[in-house]
Amino acid sequence: MVREWKVEWMKTRYRGIGWIVLAFFGLIVLWSFWALHDIPRSQAEDGFRMLFMQIPLMDTILMPTMIAMLASRLCDAEVKGSTLKLLCTLEKKGRLFDLKLLTGACYLTLFTAGQVGLILAESAFHSFVRPLEPVQLLYFVLQIYTVSLGILLLQVILSFHFENQILPLAAGILGSFVGLFSWYFSDGMLKKCVLWGYYSELCFIIMDWDPETRIVTYYDAPFDWLAFGILLAVLAAGYGAGRWLFLKKEV
Amino acid sequence: MHFRAFPPQNSGKVEKEMKYMIETDGLCKQYKRQYSVKNVSLKVRPGCVYGFLGPNGAGKSTTMKMLLGLVKPTQGSIRIFGKEILEKNRIEILKNTGSLIEAPSYYGHLNGRENLKIVQTLKRVPEKEIDEVLDIVRLEGQQNKKVKEYSLGMKQRLGLAAALLGRPKLLLLDEPTNGLDPAGIQEMRELICDLPKHYGMTVMVSSHLLSEIDQMASDVGIIHKGKLIYQGDLQKLHEKAKGSIHIHVLDPAAAVRALKEKGELYEERDGDLVFAEQGEARTAGLVAFLAGRGAQVTRVTEQQKSLEDIFLKLTGKQVSL
Repeated sequence: MVREWKVEWMKTRYRGIGWIVLAFFGLIVLWSFWALHDIPRSQAEDGFRMLFMQIPLMDTILMPTMIAMLASRLCDAEVKGSTLKLLCTLEKKGRLFDLKLLTGACYLTLFTAGQVGLILAESAFHSFVRPLEPVQLLYFVLQIYTVSLGILLLQVILSFHFENQILPLAAGILGSFVGLFSWYFSDGMLKKCVLWGYYSELCFIIMDWDPETRIVTYYDAPFDWLAFGILLAVLAAGYGAGRWLFLKKEV
Repeated sequence: MHFRAFPPQNSGKVEKEMKYMIETDGLCKQYKRQYSVKNVSLKVRPGCVYGFLGPNGAGKSTTMKMLLGLVKPTQGSIRIFGKEILEKNRIEILKNTGSLIEAPSYYGHLNGRENLKIVQTLKRVPEKEIDEVLDIVRLEGQQNKKVKEYSLGMKQRLGLAAALLGRPKLLLLDEPTNGLDPAGIQEMRELICDLPKHYGMTVMVSSHLLSEIDQMASDVGIIHKGKLIYQGDLQKLHEKAKGSIHIHVLDPAAAVRALKEKGELYEERDGDLVFAEQGEARTAGLVAFLAGRGAQVTRVTEQQKSLEDIFLKLTGKQVSL
């Protein structure tokens, strides 16, 4: 298993995957600093809540595209070079699928860890007054990481299925739009029906914008464990189905 | 391609103990209602070059993919090295095989050496073997070039190098000369022919080119429309290609009467009496006999049947030459 995983990393050389992830992370850093640079002092005091709302929103827009690119970079080398018929004589087919997911998940772990670091850096930079509630940081990680993992699973399945990687990339871009619109869905059930909608569905901060005073107020909301449970179930079912499709595919 | 740096296999013990390296029984692959491969029972002897011959679309690649577990058979069983291939033991058994199926497999963004490093790591063989196989396929000078910049022939040679890593006991090569220039084709043929001699490898090589198989193989299997229509020693196929003697007589009735009395086997074709070729003395005796019985022999011709004729007769299809 370790040997096979080592091989996965050997294959990612010169693919620029790290640069893609870094570029998207850079966008989020710039965006979040820009969003916070001229906020009133009163709002900056509640900076953690603001970031726990803003970063998932940015992720909704950026992550589906980034994950589509990541999955495509991981899988298209196998599709383009017809390497599956060689690899499947050297390692178990199912393991190959698992290792692609695991490699992608490593990048997502780094990305999520980077976002946690960004929140802490912003708090130090802008001197947030209200202290960080560690449980909220945990919710944030669960929210971002689990949804991103679900999207990665979908994108890996698509990238292995389609020889032309335009289609999985288009699915990623479409996901960004659907996810963004989902923030405006009033119906919670509707949000639960689309994978990309879970970034907003699992958001544990409520925002209230007063048009008169133009002041935004953030409130805590309970973490939606039901939605999280549904997401985990979807993830498990998706993993089973994706693996089955991959095993069934003749190379 | 040469063999200087690639030491012979340490033992041929396993091969000696078993009767067949590959043995399939009633192998079938059905796509919807169409059989791509039907009841194929292959028998590949250890240490031979087994030529798997058939026109395009005959089912060669599908059969080879089934042997490697890349395609699931609809029916039938496969034994490699005497062990039945099942999903749970497939990788273990295939550790001793090398394969090159259809187009070569490669990572275009990596160089030749890095590509081989991947296979070497997965096969768990010493790194020095990379240099040995690069030497065999003569890619040492190109090993640091990205594979996407390789010509098709170079990619094919890289694929062969990957297949040779780990000194497999069995090599499955599907149309390995595709895309090679004439010199490359010749090199590849020589290499394939030498593998059993130098390393004790058994090679199964497919092609739609009869002449190619004729030059490389000792055993042959001919597949057509998914069915194995001939299998055996190539020499025996050559014997089948022996010619026939055509004798034209002015009095066929007298000739037929005489031949029937003598109990001679013959055929009547286009006004000629046709006999299987049985050597010059026998032909001379036959002519003297017919002349003596008043059949009035006017013409004796020998017609040679080529391997192509045999192939054509077996498959009913024009063969590529």
